[in-house]
Amino acid sequence: MNAFVRSDQAAPEDGIKAGEVMLRVENVSLAFGGVRAITDVSFDILKGEIRAIIGPNGAGKTSMLNVINGFYHPQEGEIWFRGVKRSNMKPHQIAHQGIARTFQNIALFKGMSTLDNIMTGRLTMMRRNMLWQALWTGPAEAEEIRHREFVERIIDFLEIQHIRKMPVGRLPYGLQKRVELGRALAAEPQLLLLDEPMAGMNLEEKEDMSRFILDVNSQFGTTIALIEHDMSVVMDLSDRVVVLDYGKKIGDGTPDEVCRDQTVIDAYLGVSHD
Amino acid sequence: MFIVDPFFWEVVISGLLAGVMYSLVALGFVLIFKASGIFNFAQGVLALFAALTLVGFQTGQVPFAHLVNTIFGTNIHHWGDGLHTLIAIGFTLVVMIGLAWVIVRVVLKNLVNQEGIILFMATIGLAYVLEGLGDVMWGADVKPLDVGLPSGPSDTVIDMTGMFVEKLEISAAVVAIILVVALTIFSQYTKMGRALRAVADDHQAALSVGIALETIWWIVWSVAGLVALVAGIMWGAKSGVQFSLSLIALKALPVLMLGGFTSIPGAIIGGLIIGVGEKVFEIYFGPLLGGATENWFAYMLAMVFLLFRPQGLFGEKIIERV
Repeated sequence: MNAFVRSDQAAPEDGIKAGEVMLRVENVSLAFGGVRAITDVSFDILKGEIRAIIGPNGAGKTSMLNVINGFYHPQEGEIWFRGVKRSNMKPHQIAHQGIARTFQNIALFKGMSTLDNIMTGRLTMMRRNMLWQALWTGPAEAEEIRHREFVERIIDFLEIQHIRKMPVGRLPYGLQKRVELGRALAAEPQLLLLDEPMAGMNLEEKEDMSRFILDVNSQFGTTIALIEHDMSVVMDLSDRVVVLDYGKKIGDGTPDEVCRDQTVIDAYLGVSHD
Repeated sequence: MFIVDPFFWEVVISGLLAGVMYSLVALGFVLIFKASGIFNFAQGVLALFAALTLVGFQTGQVPFAHLVNTIFGTNIHHWGDGLHTLIAIGFTLVVMIGLAWVIVRVVLKNLVNQEGIILFMATIGLAYVLEGLGDVMWGADVKPLDVGLPSGPSDTVIDMTGMFVEKLEISAAVVAIILVVALTIFSQYTKMGRALRAVADDHQAALSVGIALETIWWIVWSVAGLVALVAGIMWGAKSGVQFSLSLIALKALPVLMLGGFTSIPGAIIGGLIIGVGEKVFEIYFGPLLGGATENWFAYMLAMVFLLFRPQGLFGEKIIERV
């Protein structure tokens, strides 16, 4: 079943095949003043997989995501994306490289409609730069129509046709999360980062979201890295899991392996550190 | 009946034209507010700074002359006869664009993802810095500004209707119309509009979809600088370039409350309503209240509006979820 096909303007694939390393984090450390958020963490994300990042509150999961998408620049360590070492890039440059994300606390453009929100996700795909568009709207208009088609397919895929024109600030939480996923998908990302995509949802909404995540992964081959608290969701969705605690990596492997790991169990249940 | 009284219409027209001047300042506010969610307190000072710079170039003043003379004991003041008006306007525009770049680099860049109120405070600081800079660069004396706009009462209008209308104010109206049409096309009918609204709504999200925040800010502040320059020219030509010009920013506030902070047409209509209201009220009700109603009428009108329609006439409806 093909809900939508990739548009002709998708970012080049660079010849990375499924199963090869898409993103590698090497010995990354991040500190805010004296507080160490991440200490010497290394892991990789393979093309085509769903990689979960788990850990107790304050383990540094969101910081890790912020490092990957360029909001934070680590003091130490390297990040390799598609075989190229990344120097300190700005978030908007990283978005243009093909990394899209959602946020833990939903960062949508609240005054704009669902449709417009998802359209902003196409900005990285637009050939004509914005100044050009401001000066001459003719060619930009034709381009807009093509992008609009793609966005409509995403809206169908996420089953949010009924809220297309509604300002997202008025939508219930679960739907807002879905719109945010739509905006990230609109960029046709190589790598999709999801920060707690199911936080605050009821069971039915969680099942819907899980289905969307699996479909995105299987139908478009999008590589996904996600942070999640609900262990049953992590077990169902992810191919491999990396576990963080106090900013350090304490586990890495398949969900089964990680669940049996004594260090991970201790971190979750809490033991005295002595 | 006062409807057929030509004097009433003269009052209305002079009110409309005065309103255009308010609108010009309010426009700068709306632009920046729409595009970055910042209420730019420095807009009035920006207009002052633009006018000072223009006069400086036009008359061939040496910037920072007073400072240099005090430190080095020299006596420099002018480097020549000055530039032709159009060239001076061009140079001033370059200065305003450069200033926008500095503002983004030095002030805004460090405040990404901060609350609106913090950005607002930053613009208050910016207003004082710019006022001081304008003083040190070009001196604090009142300077006449002549850009070759026609002035004096319009003979044609007097002949046709017997009404007394300033030519300068007619030019201001024409300039304002051109400016509004251009700005509306720029911000609403181009793809730029969506990126602008995105930036105004959420910095972090805008960055994550690949919008270059600093570039957008630079463009917006440059356009606001252009609008400030136009406002500065008009006010400067009318009443000379003086530091009280920065206070017209305060008159723009009631205009914005009427028109709504997010609407370009709103800024224009708001300005016109305030302009006309002020003049008519002063002429017909002023004597009953002891005069000088022009000083407070605009604010009172704005307050009444705040009570009944807080988003203004054309503003976006406020959505609140609890």
